Amino acid sequence: MDLGYTYSQAVAEASRCLLCHEPPCSAGCPANTNPGKFIRQLRMRNLKGAIATMYCNNILAASCGVLCPTCTLCASGCTAQGLDRPIDIGGLQRFLAEHSWEIGFRPIQAAAPNGQKVAIVGSGPAGLMCAAELAQRGFSVTLFERLEKPGGVLRHLLPEHRLSAVFFDREVKMLADLGVEFKCNQTIDGRAGLDELLAQGYGAVYLATGAWEAVRLDLPGADAGGIQGAMGFLARSKREPQVVKAEVKDKQVAVIGGGDTAMDVAVTAQRFGARDVYVLYRRSYAQMPGNPEEKLEVMQEGIHFVMLTQPLGYTSENGRVNGVKVLRTRLGDPDFGGRRRPEAIPGTEHVLPADVVVEAVGLKPGKGLKGFDGLKVDASGRVVVSEAGETDIANVFAGGDAVRGAALISHAIGDGARAGRAIADALLGGE
Amino acid sequence: MPVTKDLSVEMCGVRFPNPICLSSSPVSNTGEMVGRAFDAGFGGVAFKTIGKGDIKIIHPAPRMAGYDYGNKKLVGLQNVEQISDRPLDHNLRDIRYLKKNWPEHVVIASIMGFSNDEWRELAIACQDAGADMLELNFSCPHMTVEGSGMKVGQAFDLVEKFSATVKAAVTIPVLAKMTPNVTDITEPALSAKMGGADGLAAINTVLGLTGVDMKNFIPSPNVGGMGAYSGYSGPAVKPIGLRCVAQMAQHPDLGLPISGMGGIETWIDAVEYLLVGSTTLQITSGVIHYGYRMVEDILEGISYFMEDHGFDHISDFVGKALPNVVSTDHFDLGRQGIAQYDLDRCIGCGQCHVVCQDAGGQCLTWNSATRRPVMDESRCLACMICSFVCPVSKPPMITYKEVPGKPEVMPPPSL
Repeated sequence: MDLGYTYSQAVAEASRCLLCHEPPCSAGCPANTNPGKFIRQLRMRNLKGAIATMYCNNILAASCGVLCPTCTLCASGCTAQGLDRPIDIGGLQRFLAEHSWEIGFRPIQAAAPNGQKVAIVGSGPAGLMCAAELAQRGFSVTLFERLEKPGGVLRHLLPEHRLSAVFFDREVKMLADLGVEFKCNQTIDGRAGLDELLAQGYGAVYLATGAWEAVRLDLPGADAGGIQGAMGFLARSKREPQVVKAEVKDKQVAVIGGGDTAMDVAVTAQRFGARDVYVLYRRSYAQMPGNPEEKLEVMQEGIHFVMLTQPLGYTSENGRVNGVKVLRTRLGDPDFGGRRRPEAIPGTEHVLPADVVVEAVGLKPGKGLKGFDGLKVDASGRVVVSEAGETDIANVFAGGDAVRGAALISHAIGDGARAGRAIADALLGGE
Repeated sequence: MPVTKDLSVEMCGVRFPNPICLSSSPVSNTGEMVGRAFDAGFGGVAFKTIGKGDIKIIHPAPRMAGYDYGNKKLVGLQNVEQISDRPLDHNLRDIRYLKKNWPEHVVIASIMGFSNDEWRELAIACQDAGADMLELNFSCPHMTVEGSGMKVGQAFDLVEKFSATVKAAVTIPVLAKMTPNVTDITEPALSAKMGGADGLAAINTVLGLTGVDMKNFIPSPNVGGMGAYSGYSGPAVKPIGLRCVAQMAQHPDLGLPISGMGGIETWIDAVEYLLVGSTTLQITSGVIHYGYRMVEDILEGISYFMEDHGFDHISDFVGKALPNVVSTDHFDLGRQGIAQYDLDRCIGCGQCHVVCQDAGGQCLTWNSATRRPVMDESRCLACMICSFVCPVSKPPMITYKEVPGKPEVMPPPSL
């Protein structure tokens, strides 16, 4: 990670803010973060107030500040663009968080215990936010995490250059300070495991198990060695970096896809010593769905962007992949999502040599929650919930990527907060 | 050559190659320093105030503190520095050194005596060393020697007495340096004139207290756990300096040339001081912020300004603004107007609406859908605060427009 702002740099950036009436930035966050207020507070040197404003809606304010594509969210309506460029809201958010850690300020507090327990399954952004919301209302919260440390995608998939482990640990510590209990290396097994939690006296369970299965392209030749999904590649890059380094060192790596995950895979491979990294994308640069700033940085890092290129299958030798069969495309009319549709150009088939291929075309919730009898899921494995996050099982709620499929961190935060409030309302009922 | 105009001026019969001088302060502490300032372009110096040396001078530590506004550093400067702590002999040698090597540049010896005799002896010594003029320091607001500096400047009879003492002892021109820390600066200025002073210098620093530490409640600069009322300078005091200079320049009974100072950083500041009646100018805080190199931009700026306005000599515009400076009872209150908006250039921040509601005439409502202010001209006070906060400033989106015949606006009763 790059260095964040110093105090004086942050004040300078905050001083550019026009302090809008009805600030558009505060209307643009899925997590209900309120930049219009915390930037004003920072400008007025009310740093603790600013930190409290930021954290009261978003327990992962620092991580969001680092990861959010602010230019498409809060900063998209920034009126300062009428003069030059939008305020760097993410950068200010990160500064405030780091400042609070530095001075040991605890912007949020747990309420006096109300005697009720809630279990949260999965400790990614949605689970952590739900936990914070409930702890602040006096609930005793236990987070069950199947892996060895909490954090979900942020800890186990995102490359260190996007979000450093040390940085993330400092933010997660705020939950421990709220009295939230973490039980790691604990899998909640199917419906039986869920019922057991409810039987143990947990008044409600929040399922925030994320989207952990890579969507695969199902192309001919995909069974050859060296072809993998983004999920596995990124998870192994964090768990056993030396092994992955050995796999990609001096190799030609092809990454299929144009989103943030594809960018993460490409940069990881490049930094692990790959000779050349190609990002293959069937539309063009403008249609790539990822964070626009991130895309630019990735390109500047020397990754090759091979646009208008559709993968058709793989070639291999001795059971190892040695190329991607591709074809040129051109852009046709917009599809229902508004992006121009790629159309194949016949006769342009060719093979792009590749020793390692990573398919980074999306993540989905996977099979995990299908084993929960009585839990309604859609065809992609996404849990179906009410607006408040209730599932079809009484006292069981769900949110985050498990419900949405892979989405921005701020959406997961918003889900967790809503679910926390809904659970509190349900359990405290007529009180 | 960027400086195309003759910038020389004459004050009290002494010719300055240009009006920009170092003022008596840390920036004019030694001959070596002042020599470099002359090479950089300064036309003269009020050399760091010289004392007799019988009472030992020790500077407090630390001796200064910066005052910042937002992310802007050094909007003001607080200091508790004393007059020169160097031996009299060293200071006199430096004056000789400067006059020998830069004979065209003006050396004004600033002096401060702690007795009538000291004033006389210092004046003679500096004249003998070759000083072109004297400046009598009646105005340092934070002397550790009791009854000196500003205390003299606030006791008008002493101003007159010491001015007379010095005038009787020397033939070179004598300036009295005035403190702004009085009710009416023209009163001690008149006393200086009565004592025979040939000119005035103003302002010395404003007595201030810039801040208190949030941890230990000690004002800055923190001198061993204590802070003191002391000299405040820099851009923040320019409005006070301009006012003092203009008041002295306009006073019908004064009629003395003025060396103006207080917060000069740019050529615009310099021209403003000239327009309100300064003949020469002095700078310290600006040099503390930017170094001697700043003088180049001031000289070039003044030269371009003179080209733009067709002035051939600085004396052509000294005091040119004074006829426009009046007391408020001279205003024509029949002329009223409104704030005029160029809404095509509005970027929709809404700050105008916020301040109009809370500090203005409530003439602006807000259209949330279009993110634009909506004005009721009949309620506009023309207070113009909306234009102060409007970020669209090149050129300003909100301007004052006089509306002939417009009645004055008064808010209706609330009930």
